[in-house]
Amino acid sequence: MKPKLIIGIVAIVGFTSLLMYNFGESISTYTTFEGAAERSTAHIPGTWDEEKGAEFSMETKRFTFYMKDEDGVSRKVVYPKPKPNNFEEADQLVVIGEMRGDIFYANEMLMKCPSKYNDNDPGRFVNASDS
Amino acid sequence: MLGILGKALISASFVVSLFAMIFYFVAANKEKEKTLRIGNWLFTAKVVFLVAASGILMYLIFRHQFQYYYVFNYTSLDLTPRYLFSAFYGGQEGSFMLWILISGFLGFGLMKWTRPPYKGPVLFFLTLTQVFLLSMLLGWDIFGLKLGASPFRTIAEEMPNAPFLQTNPDFVPADGSGLNDLLKSPWMMIHPPILFLGFAMMTIPYCFAMAALWKQKYNEWVGPALPWTLSANVALLTAIFLGGYWAYVTLSFGGYWAWDPVENASLVPWLIGTAGIHTMIIQRKSAVAQKSSILFAILAYVAVVYETFLTRSGILGSSSVHSFVDLGLYNQLLAFMLVVTLVGLGLFFWRYKELPSPEKEAKVLSREFMTVTGAMLLLILGLVIILGTSSPVLGQLFVEKPTPPEISFYNNWSMPIVMIMAIFTVLGQYLFWKKYDAESLASALINPLLVTSAVTIASIIIGDVRNLYYMTYLFCGYFAIVGNAWVLFRLALQKPKLIGGSLSHIGFGLLLVGILASSAYNEPLVDQRTANYNEAVERGEVTDEQGFTVTQKEEMLELYLDEPVLIDNRYVVTYEGYELDNIVRRGQQNYRIRFEPLDGGKAFYMQPEVYPMLTSSSNENIQWSVDPDVRTGLFSDIYLYVGGSSYVQEQNDRIAENSMMQNVAFQDTLGEGSEVQTIEFNLGQTIDVGKFKIRFVNYSRTDTTQLPPNTTIGVRAEVELIHPASGRIFTVDPLFAVYSEQGQSYIYSPPSFIPDFDLEFQFTQIKPQENSIELTVTGLEEEYEPEWVLIVADEKPFTSVVWAGTFILMAGFSVSIFRHWGRERKKNKE
Repeated sequence: MKPKLIIGIVAIVGFTSLLMYNFGESISTYTTFEGAAERSTAHIPGTWDEEKGAEFSMETKRFTFYMKDEDGVSRKVVYPKPKPNNFEEADQLVVIGEMRGDIFYANEMLMKCPSKYNDNDPGRFVNASDS
Repeated sequence: MLGILGKALISASFVVSLFAMIFYFVAANKEKEKTLRIGNWLFTAKVVFLVAASGILMYLIFRHQFQYYYVFNYTSLDLTPRYLFSAFYGGQEGSFMLWILISGFLGFGLMKWTRPPYKGPVLFFLTLTQVFLLSMLLGWDIFGLKLGASPFRTIAEEMPNAPFLQTNPDFVPADGSGLNDLLKSPWMMIHPPILFLGFAMMTIPYCFAMAALWKQKYNEWVGPALPWTLSANVALLTAIFLGGYWAYVTLSFGGYWAWDPVENASLVPWLIGTAGIHTMIIQRKSAVAQKSSILFAILAYVAVVYETFLTRSGILGSSSVHSFVDLGLYNQLLAFMLVVTLVGLGLFFWRYKELPSPEKEAKVLSREFMTVTGAMLLLILGLVIILGTSSPVLGQLFVEKPTPPEISFYNNWSMPIVMIMAIFTVLGQYLFWKKYDAESLASALINPLLVTSAVTIASIIIGDVRNLYYMTYLFCGYFAIVGNAWVLFRLALQKPKLIGGSLSHIGFGLLLVGILASSAYNEPLVDQRTANYNEAVERGEVTDEQGFTVTQKEEMLELYLDEPVLIDNRYVVTYEGYELDNIVRRGQQNYRIRFEPLDGGKAFYMQPEVYPMLTSSSNENIQWSVDPDVRTGLFSDIYLYVGGSSYVQEQNDRIAENSMMQNVAFQDTLGEGSEVQTIEFNLGQTIDVGKFKIRFVNYSRTDTTQLPPNTTIGVRAEVELIHPASGRIFTVDPLFAVYSEQGQSYIYSPPSFIPDFDLEFQFTQIKPQENSIELTVTGLEEEYEPEWVLIVADEKPFTSVVWAGTFILMAGFSVSIFRHWGRERKKNKE
């Protein structure tokens, strides 16, 4: 084999493994409030616990609400920004942050809406017809 | 009825396409002009059917035929014609239709301009992709196997089990659920069509590459394919720009780029397409890189289809803020992707041995080596982004239920790649026009390097750049600008038609510098107290009630009406109130925030908006949506949106109160707990009460004939209630009357309401000698909250440079289109 070919192969293999390693490091797994206690940054999907409300406090400048994770556990979530657009509309939330005691401090929050290119009325429509 | 016709037309279009494909296949194999012509007729028929079907869909939308699910789902009666028009491609089915329509029209261009032997195979592959896309719209049900989702399906077909349909099968909703408010934007008119124009055009290099492999003519295809690829590239870039700008100025995403899968879906084909452009150009020039040109042309379209699969199959799940609804097209999309990829790469490897290879290896300091390396880097960047976007699939190699990668994954990988690219653009451009050896190249580069260093050092000092990595990055970006500008000036004097490449590379350099400045040096605009607090948070000195260290900074600011606040030691910012505006969106508030620069610059206003999302609000719950205001400056942008306000709060409170009232037995709203105040006025006097001003304008005797017969006096006062924050003025004319009954005199003063503020006015006394009256106002709070607004403001330096870089890139590519298209036209005439 030509030495250039070997260098090429080594470079490609090296690059790919570094890339894959870094990729593996930079993704994390969706977890629950319970699982979040063990990690520094956790992604938790869940739904807004509507009965307990949601409130933006002018004093602390924080948006606080309760979220139910996939195990059905409801915890207080603190988000340091105003209430995002589409908060109520979202049928799923993903909060990204850390658990401290019983409170989850979210640095980021994603809202999964039925679709940005759609809206939720048909969703409501279908649910209503199921009952 | 029309719906059935529409469905039939789409089905006809699909079937005719299949036949067109067969005829094109035969024509391509046998190279028979007659068969090709039949194929063209069939192709034309397909486009005609599809145009007719689109016309019907458009008609149904404009006639508000809500029995059709698509019309019901994406439109409503109150939409203006422009948004009714955009609703055509507001949903997944319609956007597929638009895509095929554009692709169909491009087909006519290919029929006219493509020369044999490529004509037949090119049209065959174009039709093949259209067959797949059309199959997404069929809505056929073959023994339970569902093929496609028709835009013409009715509500009854969509929801067969809905109870309202059981009772009344002919049920037609009175109104549709409407277009999402976020999409009611002028950008919606233009962004999707241009994006699909780009996607459709990216098909063409794929078709040409396949034709080249089929006909075993590996060099000539590059000429005609180049202008198409360049055009696809400009269309995609324009679409990316429009999407980014839209997200930035109206969608409050907080920036122009977020590495969202949908954004990546248009970036990756652009990157790989650009790689293809590089190799095609060098192949035309030096007859090298035949393999890479074909491979990149194939991969660019595979990237389009793969990203379409990711965003439309529902596989991205919760990782994208805006993926489409899953229409059950997973299998069809997967089949489409596999066929495009396997046929493409299969044929490529089938012919691989035959493909020309360079006889001797290129020198490092040659335009061939530089251009091909640049193309490889573009491909690698594209692959890295594909890897990140594919995290829901590929992430499963590492963890269960993978999340998308952190933003830093994209940034960390793309930064070094683009830095190398930046250097290569300069070396490549120098070597492209003249032969150099190491020594002569170095001496030619001395001046550009000196200028680059000077500019970099100046930026570092002025911008207070402390990060060594950023310094290097800046140097690379400036080097691309300066070095390519050097080439451009020399070239412009001799052959101005050939400046496309160097101009594009200047745009690329500007883009790099602008991206770093606007994202890494993005500063929240806050007052001194908040800034101090944030610094303390950064040092880890702030703890909360539970004793945990606070890590979240405060990046918003509360402003009270007419109370100026000093922000960032640079601006005096005053909230001057809001206006209610029902013209664009019902219930919209336009806030007025005044910025006065301390350095003596001209004061300006920022006018962010808040509006209720009508499509998703209900009587119990209003959903507020924000529309930021961006002030674009040469050096920095101010980006500002309203996170809350006393008006919004009041509306929410009122709604909460109303829904509570429905549960509890009705009580007098203005009974207990409401404050009652009496105010005495002289004629013409204005009195400040809480957050209002009340003015006694006039009073006049009323015609007693309209009052009860025993009324002796009747006086109406004209009173204005002024709400300075919103500039609203309400006029009431409460009545003061005296009537007698059985010899007794009674005062009659019925209340006048102002429902907007839950206020009740009574005219309770009149003192004619003093020319004054007494009003009793119920509902005014004695301890009132001043009007406030919560703003989030950012300063983003040099966003203008990002746009400038994008425009120059577009301009550079456009120059190249003219050059290559001009050459092709001449050839066609021969």
